[in-house]
Amino acid sequence: MQRLISYFFGMAFVPQSKFKWIAIIGLFTSAAASLTLGWMFGGGFLLLTLCSLVARRTWLHKHPSREELSGESKQTATERLRKHLAANQTASSDQSLVEGMLSQKRYALLLRKQIVENLSQEEFNQTIEQLSEAMAILPEGEVMLGADSRSDSNDLFGDAISNPVNKILRVGGAYLDRHPVTNAEFFQFIQGGGYEQMAIWDQEIWPGVLNFVDLTGESGPRLWSDGIFAEGEENLPVVGVSWFEARAYARWVGKRLPTDAEWVKAGSWPVKLANSTGGRIQRRYPWGDTLDRRRCNLWGSGPDRIVDIEEFADGVSAGGVYQLIGNVWEWTSSNFSENNLIHGQINLPMPMRTIRGGAFDTYFDNQSTCQFQSGENPAARKHNIGFRCAISLCDLTTNYVAIADSQPVAEAETSTEEVAV
Amino acid sequence: MNKRAVVDLDSYRLAQYAVQVPCYVCNGGNTFDAEMCRHCFAPLALAHQAHAQNVEPRMVATIGSSGVGKTVYLGMLLDMLSRRPDRMQLLARGAFSVTLQQSTVSSLARCEFPEKTPSEPDRWNWVHCQIKSPKQRKPIELVMPDMAGEALLEEIEHPHSYPVIRAFLQKCSGAVLLIDSTALHDGSRNHDYFVVKLLNYLSELDDHNGQDWSHRPLALNFTKGDECEESFDDPEQFARTHAVGLWQHCQDRFPMHKFFATGVAGACAYRDVFGQGRQRVPLRIEPRGIIEPFEWIVNRIKV
Repeated sequence: MQRLISYFFGMAFVPQSKFKWIAIIGLFTSAAASLTLGWMFGGGFLLLTLCSLVARRTWLHKHPSREELSGESKQTATERLRKHLAANQTASSDQSLVEGMLSQKRYALLLRKQIVENLSQEEFNQTIEQLSEAMAILPEGEVMLGADSRSDSNDLFGDAISNPVNKILRVGGAYLDRHPVTNAEFFQFIQGGGYEQMAIWDQEIWPGVLNFVDLTGESGPRLWSDGIFAEGEENLPVVGVSWFEARAYARWVGKRLPTDAEWVKAGSWPVKLANSTGGRIQRRYPWGDTLDRRRCNLWGSGPDRIVDIEEFADGVSAGGVYQLIGNVWEWTSSNFSENNLIHGQINLPMPMRTIRGGAFDTYFDNQSTCQFQSGENPAARKHNIGFRCAISLCDLTTNYVAIADSQPVAEAETSTEEVAV
Repeated sequence: MNKRAVVDLDSYRLAQYAVQVPCYVCNGGNTFDAEMCRHCFAPLALAHQAHAQNVEPRMVATIGSSGVGKTVYLGMLLDMLSRRPDRMQLLARGAFSVTLQQSTVSSLARCEFPEKTPSEPDRWNWVHCQIKSPKQRKPIELVMPDMAGEALLEEIEHPHSYPVIRAFLQKCSGAVLLIDSTALHDGSRNHDYFVVKLLNYLSELDDHNGQDWSHRPLALNFTKGDECEESFDDPEQFARTHAVGLWQHCQDRFPMHKFFATGVAGACAYRDVFGQGRQRVPLRIEPRGIIEPFEWIVNRIKV
């Protein structure tokens, strides 16, 4: 009926949801005019049609309809975003190589010993500034991995996970990203040809890289469309990426994935007491020993979805790392072994990698501690697993004066492995 | 020598035994102090509560094959609704109604799945609760048992072997039918056949008003979604692709049906337990799609 009315008034293209009232008023006015002043019917009809068309044009200019937004305008929005990011890239290409790399957050590459000598003082300062803004220092020291023994003794309901063994590891000094890698940052990786540069991918996954596509078949995280994230999700942690994709991104920006021990150390911030007892203070959560749901995005404490990396800032760790607990699980570089510190002796259906920290849908408090460890198939691209990157202190040169006088040195080992004590 | 003594006259108690208390599930007569129905083994607390509170609880069944995840689904559902009442509020009626939730959640928190539900109906956990939904003006009283998969299979193969199942499913206002998505994805036709058998069984049942299952809501819920992400993407399409018999059956005989997907564990490993074989071990708990099928059913129950 609405279509008939709209068509009758020459408004076949008027969106029915917005202009139904125009058609109805027009119908009644015309009917009244035809009954009382028959000769004026044509004039009234014409006037109404013209008015409605003008109104339509004006309204649509200001308020594009939902149908258009979901159809053509969605395409336009995607294009706009793509152009915006491409423009940034073009602008950076017009700048120096250093500025371009800084805009892509690839400062860690610039601070490699082989490269840093070629930077000017100003470029070096910019790079260091970006490094200190984006990454927190993780001092070297010992960390205990395994279940928290305190939870066992006070567990009235038997909820505590059995704790087969704890392990104390020594971790070398490192930098850890303050925030998880965002959609916008990962988009730059794709724009930079990350999925085509096979050198940054593990050789074992080369045949599988073609399978790492989004919902529309473009290279990218599983839940993206047309090779880009949804509008407004720039600052959300990237999810739907496999361990291999996370590792490739980390290599592209000159970093690596954190080891299991590094991740736990950043969250639990252990302090070894100097007295003869050899005691150790190690937090269950980055902010202390008690779960405070206002500080992290877990099931029941957040909006039941992934949130911006800037949110839940109160959950920052002692070292200045955000969202270690909640929002998204994070890949680490470590294997999830069958003789597991948390789950005991288990059989894995396939080799797994460790994930840490819990996500927005993690249900239990005891599965969102710094000590809790879970595993996942490295090729899985889950909706709640993201990552952040790390780099060893010894891999970066942070003193400009020193390197100006120094001779070129051999490439340092990029990955530091913990040493059992 | 005779000694006089005062003896209580207990014979009036016999009068109470003369009045039969009908079981809420099967309507069979029972003595007033019985704990379970002597006909179907349903707890008589349901009948007492219904009588005392002057309410007529509705029933929702959670059915599926053995090991599909009925206990986990029901326990998680109860816990989620009681912890976060923003979508629907659940209040347990009676202490026995909390047992299932407690045992399931306690196991999952330890990264273990709960033990298999025994086949004996007298050992099943029953839940009687009150549900408040924004879409329903009045709170709904619901009864939901955690039935054993083996018992269901036995009743389907040999009708009337478990009277409680038949009586309960006859009176049910709706059902959540759980289907193992990993079994279907692996190409196992057996699972499809079992579900079709179950649907055939349901379609033969009428309640006391002569209403058959074609007028009752049936939520078909693919479980273990963590191992089969495809079922989450489009449950209906997943059914069409991997369970053709089931999908066709639902189209023809169950007009009020909808497909859903559910997952409780984020990932699973295995553990060899002496005497019990290989058991699945959840590596973390992150429930997905638990409330949606239940909410869909509750919103279609006529109060």
